[in-house]
Amino acid sequence: MPTITLSAVAKSYGGGDYAVKDLDLTVPDGAFMCLLGPSGCGKTTTLRMIAGLEQPTAGTIAVADRVLDSVEQGLYVPPERRGMGLVFQNYALWPHLSVRDNVEFGLRMRKVPAPDRRSRAEAALKMVHVDDAIDRYPSQLSGGQQQRVALARMLAINPGVLLLDEPLSNLDAQLRLEMRAELKRIHEESGATIVFVTHDQLEALTMATDVAVMKDGELQQVAAPMDLYARPANRFVAAFVGSPPMAIVDVGPAPTGLAASLLHFVKSRAEGCAPAAVGIRPEALHLGAPHASAWREEATVEAVLPAGSSWTVRLRVLETELYALSYTPVLAAPGDMLTCWTEHMHLFGEDGGRISAWDTRGVGA
Amino acid sequence: MAVNTRRPAERPPAPPRRRRLVYRLRVLRHDPTAALGLILLVLLAYLVVAPLVAVLSDAFRLQYGDGVHAGQQPGEWTGYYLWRVFRSQISGLLFWEPLLNTLVIAVGTTLFALVLGGGTAWLVTRTNMPGRRWLAGALVVPYMLPSWTFSLAWLSLFKNERAGGQVGFLQAQGIRTPDWLAYGALPIIITLGLHYYPFVLLLVGNALRRIDAQLEDSARILGAPQRTVIRRIVIPLMLPALSSAVLLVVGRVLGTFGTPYVLGLPADYRVLSTGLFQAIRDRSTGVASVLTTVIVVIGVLIVLADTRMMREHRRFVTVGGRGAMDRLGDLRRWRWPAFAFGLLAFAVSVVVPVLTLLLSTVTRTPLDLSTFTLDYWIAERLPGAVGFPHGVLRGPELWEAAWNSLRIVGLASLICAIAGLLIGYVVVRGTAPRVAAFLRQVSFLPYLIPGIAFAAASLSLFAVARGPMPALYGTTFLLILVMAVTHLPYSSRSGIAAMMQLGREPEEAAQIAGASWWQRMRRIIFPIQKGALVTGIVLPFVSGLKELSIVIMLTTTGTQLLTTLSIGLVDYGYTQLANAVVLMIALISFTMTYLTQRLTKSSLASGLGG
Repeated sequence: MPTITLSAVAKSYGGGDYAVKDLDLTVPDGAFMCLLGPSGCGKTTTLRMIAGLEQPTAGTIAVADRVLDSVEQGLYVPPERRGMGLVFQNYALWPHLSVRDNVEFGLRMRKVPAPDRRSRAEAALKMVHVDDAIDRYPSQLSGGQQQRVALARMLAINPGVLLLDEPLSNLDAQLRLEMRAELKRIHEESGATIVFVTHDQLEALTMATDVAVMKDGELQQVAAPMDLYARPANRFVAAFVGSPPMAIVDVGPAPTGLAASLLHFVKSRAEGCAPAAVGIRPEALHLGAPHASAWREEATVEAVLPAGSSWTVRLRVLETELYALSYTPVLAAPGDMLTCWTEHMHLFGEDGGRISAWDTRGVGA
Repeated sequence: MAVNTRRPAERPPAPPRRRRLVYRLRVLRHDPTAALGLILLVLLAYLVVAPLVAVLSDAFRLQYGDGVHAGQQPGEWTGYYLWRVFRSQISGLLFWEPLLNTLVIAVGTTLFALVLGGGTAWLVTRTNMPGRRWLAGALVVPYMLPSWTFSLAWLSLFKNERAGGQVGFLQAQGIRTPDWLAYGALPIIITLGLHYYPFVLLLVGNALRRIDAQLEDSARILGAPQRTVIRRIVIPLMLPALSSAVLLVVGRVLGTFGTPYVLGLPADYRVLSTGLFQAIRDRSTGVASVLTTVIVVIGVLIVLADTRMMREHRRFVTVGGRGAMDRLGDLRRWRWPAFAFGLLAFAVSVVVPVLTLLLSTVTRTPLDLSTFTLDYWIAERLPGAVGFPHGVLRGPELWEAAWNSLRIVGLASLICAIAGLLIGYVVVRGTAPRVAAFLRQVSFLPYLIPGIAFAAASLSLFAVARGPMPALYGTTFLLILVMAVTHLPYSSRSGIAAMMQLGREPEEAAQIAGASWWQRMRRIIFPIQKGALVTGIVLPFVSGLKELSIVIMLTTTGTQLLTTLSIGLVDYGYTQLANAVVLMIALISFTMTYLTQRLTKSSLASGLGG
């Protein structure tokens, strides 16, 4: 069954710059793997290499036991023979073909007889709920419908591997929410291995079974969504995943202010622990009466930003700006003094890697 | 789970060169884009770059037959032709005088076109002149007529007995027309100006229309009087369009052949293009090559100057589309005089020439309706006309020429449009960036070169057998090739634009769905680009139909086109017949341009090159 394996894959567009550097990644059979990272991190390039639309400069790409690309062995299978599905960011529906012809195209290429083709196209369209638009042309469809047709076009050929290149980024917020659930359902129904590219961490966390975080063409961490959030492998992942982002305070050789306060606290709890930086997630920073074992400090409120279900508070703590995220109403005004406290910190080493976290249970995983 | 905290300091190890090569070849075998790019590259290098190299080498190598004069062996490197063109006793006749005349005509035509085109542009875009919408369309018509239509009309009106053949209307009425009015600089400037002012009208009109009214309002709110606003805001913003229009007209005048041939040669008024034509007719290849090189260099300088100026201006020009100008200046009591002026411009540039030509073809004595006759169109026998003894619609000549025009220009346009799309395809696919850049630049190169010079350069290369290529002089094949190549800049530009707009995703989606390259081309790319393809064929077709300067260099008596047939009849002095043929061309080209605009909604401004 389709397990996708990338080993030592690199991609350079010439000039010594690498879009993807020495990438080792395994997408397990049936997984919903999300490639997450800021723009320009090489995630789309990776996806296009899996599809065969771009060729690696080094390395091997295989699906199941079939080698699709191997620079070392001189093996290459063109995209049209890989039998995968790929949904493009802008959908790339063919404007001169009706929805039906768009969806039937792949089957036509596989020389599926006409009656069979019809029923499979209709089934695929039914699966994404646009079967009523079957005789229309792409220009007559709304963005959401186009997106679904693009998906149906790929589902019709029943691919073992389905690749999605930021398919939700052009939709409005409401549709995006809907399509997230849809995609999850389709993943379960079709049983395909899905690789999904996005720069939206919320999308990654809500849909994926596995998330691979990339930066500058390098893999930063591969983990299940909640693991990624709870145990980021390094400073980059910690800062990238979560919103508002984690505050990371550099300690330095002669810490002062907030850094000194945090370091003092960490050292008092764990003998010999010398982190280079300490991170606090906004939702772990609480306001008001602290628990006994918590780190605490006086804070000045700078701004309160209510957002309906949550309140984001900008604080100044020992001359450093920190954000706190509260799910209970914050009744403070700018200039008020409060106590802020936390029981959960992430500790990072010299090289930026995460060494451990501290919380009320003590220093550990 | 996998964690990668390695620093990106070291590059990933690259596999050995030979392995990578094997892999690349494997990829190339499945993707014909690179091969297609290479084929196009070789073709373009051969058809565009090689002629220029050939003409340059001809300019510096001694030709057969000149050995006695130069005291060198044929084929040796020589400065003889340079000396002959620039410094010898006949260089005044060969080069300096034509150069001076060309400059005079260029400057005169440009001024004429600027005043008329700029004035009408302002009237139709920025004032409340009555009928401005209609005039905006009507005043572009002169551009749809072949450029030398006006010169034939001029002759019908002002021709005197100097050149033989039938005299013009005024002379026939007993009013002597002096040479300076019948031939030479003045009539050439006026007739060319009437043909080219639509350029200025379109370019300047578009720019005027796009100026953001808020820019002017801001100045006025800050206390600037109307005059200052125009001087400090509007005119600086118009400069790019103005300079573009000027250089475009100058470039065109440089390469124009028909008008100076018809109106200049009878009075021995030579310009560079007619000088080049004569040099080639006289088989003085070396001199022709030097002249070609000079014209090419001037053409290149003009376009470089244009791009440079555009770049200079782009730094501060931020012409926004939002507050586009719909507030119009009120002409008050000048409204109707302005309208009269617009009508006059239309009358002089369209009605008078066309009517003159039309009437001249149905009267024995020019424009004297008492001598009305349809003989020149349909007579079985025309007394006195030895070379063409019957009406134009009789006999095979017109129909053969029309068929030749249709066939040759049609094929050239088809080649042009397909090549343009394929170049666009290779550029957008981007598998071979360097090939793409070369294609983009070289396909644009003919734009820099006036058609007549390019035709001369092609003659240098193809007139004699070189390598496996037989001598092509006089073949329709050569004509088709050169015509296709000279129109390539426009079609490759529109092909690239069309493909850019499409992007590569639709094709990639088909590829993912399992379509082979051929299937993708047949079922996806070409069907989607059908519209672009049609425009890409029609625009070169219309302009090719009017084309004279390229054709006159490359046709022999065996293959007549409509344009050469007409010029041939002028040479014979059969004014009525020549006029009749030009009217046919004007009719076809006007109808096609009009229909294309209607059907494809493409504006003439986008096909300005044509």
